[in-house]
Amino acid sequence: MNLKVLYGTMKKELMIKYRAYPAHFFVGNTLTGLYTVLGAWMMWKFLFEGNMAQDFSEITGTGDYISYVVVGSLTYLFVVRTCLNVSRSLITELREGTLESLMLAPFKRAEYFLGSMLVQTLTTSAEIIVSLIIAIPFGIDLSRADMGAFLIAFIVSLYAFFGVSMVLGSIMLYTRDTYISQNTLFAFLFLVCGISFPVQYLPEWLRVIAEVIPVTEAVNLIRVTLLSGSGISEQMQSVQYILLLSTAYVVVGFMQMKRCEEIALEKING
Amino acid sequence: MRPFIKALAAEMIKQHKNYFHSKMIYVSLFVWPFLNFITTYYSFKVFDIGKSKIAYITAENMVVYLLLGYMCMSFFRSLVQSAWNFSFERISGTLELIYLSPVNRAAVLLGNAVSSLFESVFVMLIFSLLVIVMKVEVLIIKILPCITVFFIVTAMAVAWGMFLNSLFLFSRDSDFLFTILEEPMEIFSGVKVPTALFPLWAKAISIIFPLTYAIEAVRRVVLTGSSLYEIREFAVIGIGITVVLFALISVIIKRVESHMRITGNITLF
Amino acid sequence: MIIAEHLKKTYIVKQGKGLFREKQEIQAVRDISLQIEKGKIVGLLGINGAGKTTTIKMLTTLLSPTEGSYFLDDIDGVKYPVEIKKRINMIAGGERMIYWRLTAYENLWYYGQIYNVSNNVLKERIDTLLKLVGLENKKDVPVETFSKGMKQRLQIARGLINDPQYLFLDEPTIGLDAVVSKELRSHIKHLAKEQNKGILITSHYMGEIEELCDYIYIMNDGVLIKKGTVKELTTETFNRKNYVLRLDKHSKEITECICDKLKVVDATVEVKDENDAIYINSRENISMELSRACMEAGLYIREMYEKEPHLEDAIIRLSREVHHEAVY
Repeated sequence: MNLKVLYGTMKKELMIKYRAYPAHFFVGNTLTGLYTVLGAWMMWKFLFEGNMAQDFSEITGTGDYISYVVVGSLTYLFVVRTCLNVSRSLITELREGTLESLMLAPFKRAEYFLGSMLVQTLTTSAEIIVSLIIAIPFGIDLSRADMGAFLIAFIVSLYAFFGVSMVLGSIMLYTRDTYISQNTLFAFLFLVCGISFPVQYLPEWLRVIAEVIPVTEAVNLIRVTLLSGSGISEQMQSVQYILLLSTAYVVVGFMQMKRCEEIALEKING
Repeated sequence: MRPFIKALAAEMIKQHKNYFHSKMIYVSLFVWPFLNFITTYYSFKVFDIGKSKIAYITAENMVVYLLLGYMCMSFFRSLVQSAWNFSFERISGTLELIYLSPVNRAAVLLGNAVSSLFESVFVMLIFSLLVIVMKVEVLIIKILPCITVFFIVTAMAVAWGMFLNSLFLFSRDSDFLFTILEEPMEIFSGVKVPTALFPLWAKAISIIFPLTYAIEAVRRVVLTGSSLYEIREFAVIGIGITVVLFALISVIIKRVESHMRITGNITLF
Repeated sequence: MIIAEHLKKTYIVKQGKGLFREKQEIQAVRDISLQIEKGKIVGLLGINGAGKTTTIKMLTTLLSPTEGSYFLDDIDGVKYPVEIKKRINMIAGGERMIYWRLTAYENLWYYGQIYNVSNNVLKERIDTLLKLVGLENKKDVPVETFSKGMKQRLQIARGLINDPQYLFLDEPTIGLDAVVSKELRSHIKHLAKEQNKGILITSHYMGEIEELCDYIYIMNDGVLIKKGTVKELTTETFNRKNYVLRLDKHSKEITECICDKLKVVDATVEVKDENDAIYINSRENISMELSRACMEAGLYIREMYEKEPHLEDAIIRLSREVHHEAVY
């Protein structure tokens, strides 16, 4: 692997990020985390005074709604940020007119994308940690977290998110649209991936769709390791499933991306 | 007056053609609120609905209760979006040309707000049909109060849209305003949790959003069959808010232009 | 007639980031007076940052002057900017400032509405304007499919939508190819001479200014440093001849020798030695003397030609002079 591309992309992304996104970007992102938590908390506290439905604890194995929803929402936030960065990286280059010069350079896609993802992982992790701290007063309970298992779950999930963003990225490059495709996908993921309620509530056909999106299982895995302290060995099946599914996404994403790049470049010239 | 109406109409037509050139935009108007709504519907299911503290929320009409909230919100939100769109005029340089012309600035802002309202009314109709088809039995509606509320809500939405337009136009960090305004509006204006249940601090936040009053009024006339007399308070508040917003708008328009002519920079904040 | 006197514009700029921003005064325009007559084309020249754009923005009422007076046909522009706006328009080069998703016709229609052009006049005017800029066949096509030149021509039509009495052109031909800019220049001439409009134009192209302008103002560092007709300015500033000379041999001695010989004819002559060529700047036509000097020295001339002065050179020269005056 030529680490120069990786390093170069990372440095470029960091520089752009640092210059173009001042502090308010960070504040904005953490605010989004806060709002999600706040919205759920207010429902729980004021409207229903903590009265959960009977089947909630049966399905999830916990009556702790707040921890459930906070972990779900923050993971969702991570998916969104990854997609925003990785998927949009190429189309941004296309729009700013730098795609052509990028293509001229002997350029390795995988490293390019990994570079932009790593930078984003760093900044998003910081945002998430701040959001988690904000969530403490709302009553999130991480006392049973298995940090080792969580770290593995986190890395596996990153791979899953990467796969999803590759597919989204090729759609964006093909349609040359970011706004509609990304937000539709985000709204859909929020619905089906078990972010704020268990997927078991969904109708059967939606659950089938949810199962083939790696995010669903990733959210589950993160939740299990953080909240019920399950070790990674107990979750091996789930890990394997995510890895397999995400690989399929990455492969499809890369193939499509390559095709779309060519189409996109033709469109510039045309 | 005629130039004002001409400019208003032209602005509406222009914005419509400029932003609704592609059918995809309807995705953002229908699909997103719809997906959001379903998600919220399911996230309500994790609770024991029978134990909610608001009398008019029951397992039967919860869907309608939520739909009404979402309907009002997407009404207001489309105006936030139109304001955001309008801020692109500064980047593309067309705003400068509007300032170069003698056109009435308020007419341009109003035209922009009203044009997005047409689409929202359409969305509202679809939502309403959905409500009627799904749960006609829970509706207790008196026609006159319902129409009154509709008009006041529309006036409030337009004023709110114009107000945001003027803010977004002249602030460099319009994205930031977006994150500050949009999500809190959803949380604090009672889309999911009625503001009556809020503690004091949350109520204090909720009173700044016109949407708060709109949602409450709509729910009351649709779910509890309030009479005109029972919603008189809302009518007064709604008209009051509209007047205050229009006053603010005209001050902002004047201040911004004179500020711009002095500094050569539209950014006020 | 537009009469602007002693216009001055001072900006307060906030420096740095965050809460504690320092305020700094920047004098974009220190003192400028100019006149634009109907039917005349006036050029405004300057090097970048000379204050041209600020001046145009003051004349178009987008900026209010810090000091000075501005009258357009006896209307006080400082007090009644809206009245001025009705009578003027501005055309800036480049592709921005139109709605890309609207068609050419729709763009013009929109601007016609906000200028309150009456609807029966407007339709006819749009057709005439589209014909004028050669876009009549493209009027129902969205602007995003237009080429750069077409977008710019649409800009020109847009600038004429309110039938302005005075027109401000800010680098109207920037980025246009030779054919299109030539057409454009004849349009501009037509507007002034046939339609009796007062026009102010800024440009970086010397030829354009020379061809079009009845009167020229030259700005540097926020002040007017020269004004006059093209003829007056040429005799004052641009009359000096520039020659480029390449010889078969090249040395400092040769350059000095040539310089000495030329000084006899024209005491103000300047000889510069750069790369492998000698650059000569003189008041008179000295091509005869130059070739004679080479022959006498036994030098073989590989190349010798007179260089047309560029606007850029002239302005740099002028601004340097101004700078010197300020120092000494």
